[in-house]
Amino acid sequence: MGEASDKTAESRPKRTRIELLVRQSDGEGFETREIASAVAYLHSRPQRIPDADWEMARLPFAPQGVVTYALKNRRTEQIIQISETEKFLWEQMDGRASLQEIGTSYLLHYGSFDFEVIPTLIVKLLRADLLTMRPVSRLRAVLARNRRNPAARAMEGTLHALERLTVTSRRSHVFFERVYRYGGFLLFTPWALIVLAIMVVVGGRSAITIWHDLSEVTHGLASHPLIAILLVKIVFWLTVVNHQIIHALACVHYKRRVREFGFTILHGFIPTFYADVTDIFMATRRARVVNAIAGPLFHLFLGFFCFWIAAQLSPGLMQGFLAASALLQMQSFLISLYPFWFLEMDGYHILVEWVGVPTLNHDSVRFVRESLWRRIRTATWLTRQEAICLAYFTLSLASVAGFILFNVWLFSSAGKS
Amino acid sequence: MPSLPDIGFLRRVVLFKDVDEPVLLALWPSFRERRLRKGDVLFRAGDPGEELFLIKDGSIVVSKPVTGRVEQVLSRLGPGEVFGEMSVLGDEPHRSATCQAEIDSVVYSLDRDSLNRFITGSPLAAAKFFQHMAQVAFKRLRDASDLVAEVTRWGLEATGLDIEHK
Repeated sequence: MGEASDKTAESRPKRTRIELLVRQSDGEGFETREIASAVAYLHSRPQRIPDADWEMARLPFAPQGVVTYALKNRRTEQIIQISETEKFLWEQMDGRASLQEIGTSYLLHYGSFDFEVIPTLIVKLLRADLLTMRPVSRLRAVLARNRRNPAARAMEGTLHALERLTVTSRRSHVFFERVYRYGGFLLFTPWALIVLAIMVVVGGRSAITIWHDLSEVTHGLASHPLIAILLVKIVFWLTVVNHQIIHALACVHYKRRVREFGFTILHGFIPTFYADVTDIFMATRRARVVNAIAGPLFHLFLGFFCFWIAAQLSPGLMQGFLAASALLQMQSFLISLYPFWFLEMDGYHILVEWVGVPTLNHDSVRFVRESLWRRIRTATWLTRQEAICLAYFTLSLASVAGFILFNVWLFSSAGKS
Repeated sequence: MPSLPDIGFLRRVVLFKDVDEPVLLALWPSFRERRLRKGDVLFRAGDPGEELFLIKDGSIVVSKPVTGRVEQVLSRLGPGEVFGEMSVLGDEPHRSATCQAEIDSVVYSLDRDSLNRFITGSPLAAAKFFQHMAQVAFKRLRDASDLVAEVTRWGLEATGLDIEHK
């Protein structure tokens, strides 16, 4: 008997663990952590297929006292039989609850827990194609729910195809090393700061001059509206490449690798260039801050440069175009440096370095959603990190709301005028 | 250069265990001793590599960047073990992984030029050196493929995917 159970234990492989090294935010110290596959499994969030794609019926011919159900996948016509307890679990699998939370609900509902019931049910559901991965965005979730509609299906297919439209180079590091060697290094010398300061002063004066002649400048744009809009947008889009190149050069400056550089359609509809400079996390805090601030400073320089050139020109399309481009560059500078958007842009990374909470965005949302109300009810003081999370969440919420209201006001004013 | 020749230590290093003592004595001045405090990074993945290292004391953790500040631990190396040979002897001049001291450690480094002098000056010793180097490389390859299998199994367990019956 003992031998048999030993053999069973031997035949069942031990749950695996991977060992990760997590570097401290100063880039120097580190700790190693073993993560068991079981932990990752408990944090996964199973999601049943859309409600329209399945149906359930109670089986009338079950043995006395035992309630069973037939669960049918309408798309594949596959049917599985599930018990009352499995039905309870199926109802929890909405893509929001983790397996750990589902297990807790089960325990609270039934008063006991069977460790095998969840994995067994998941295997059963996966075989019948009744569980899916959670769609990445709300739009994708809506499209997934409406797959019967040909338009929704076509749009989902298009989004999927666009997401795959990525041009990338993993050998870009050598290119950026060359660019840095042949002049890029100048951007990281005190001379670059002096040139920037001069441009801020000169461009600032030019901006004031342009402001005085605003009606003439806008008239130049208004006389060719379509060309003006296209020109401003395309040129601005091209400057985004330079923003990314500057990040890449900063990475090379601090002797870290640029892992990737390319073009992608972000979330299926935002065409953008990107540089993977995550290797900068291995460098010092100063390097990370310089890397984050280098891109926005490029917009600041370009904005004032455009103002300066625009002030030299006589009224017309070119002057209007340069003035509008300058404003867009200034807006990019401010937006990318402003940290409170729930978006992890350059300013956010600087803020994170300052407050020392690497996952601030995620932690703040989680804190407000899961712990804040409990803290208020029990009237307990917040820790430093919780106070930071709350401040970040509040400011970000206010900023996003303010941004939306500002745009609504802008559009309604434009409509009236 | 470490003060007195420690031929006993070199004999414990698999690469040099069959190399004759006079050759080891001639090579000894080329070694540079480096003392590392716990957490000191010897080199990072992507750095240019010009030296191989022998561990005299301590423990070196070898890791590869995964995402952000997270790296995967590939292995831990202890006294008598060698590392950093890939960028010295291979085609790729950059370090393939990050190596740093897990505890206070002492390592001996041997630069590319000294190694080349040893190889050209003592062909017989070099043959024995490379024979053992091949064994080290085979072991590394085996360990790497074991790690790939282990990580794959981790992924399957973490997602609950049932591949056998699907």
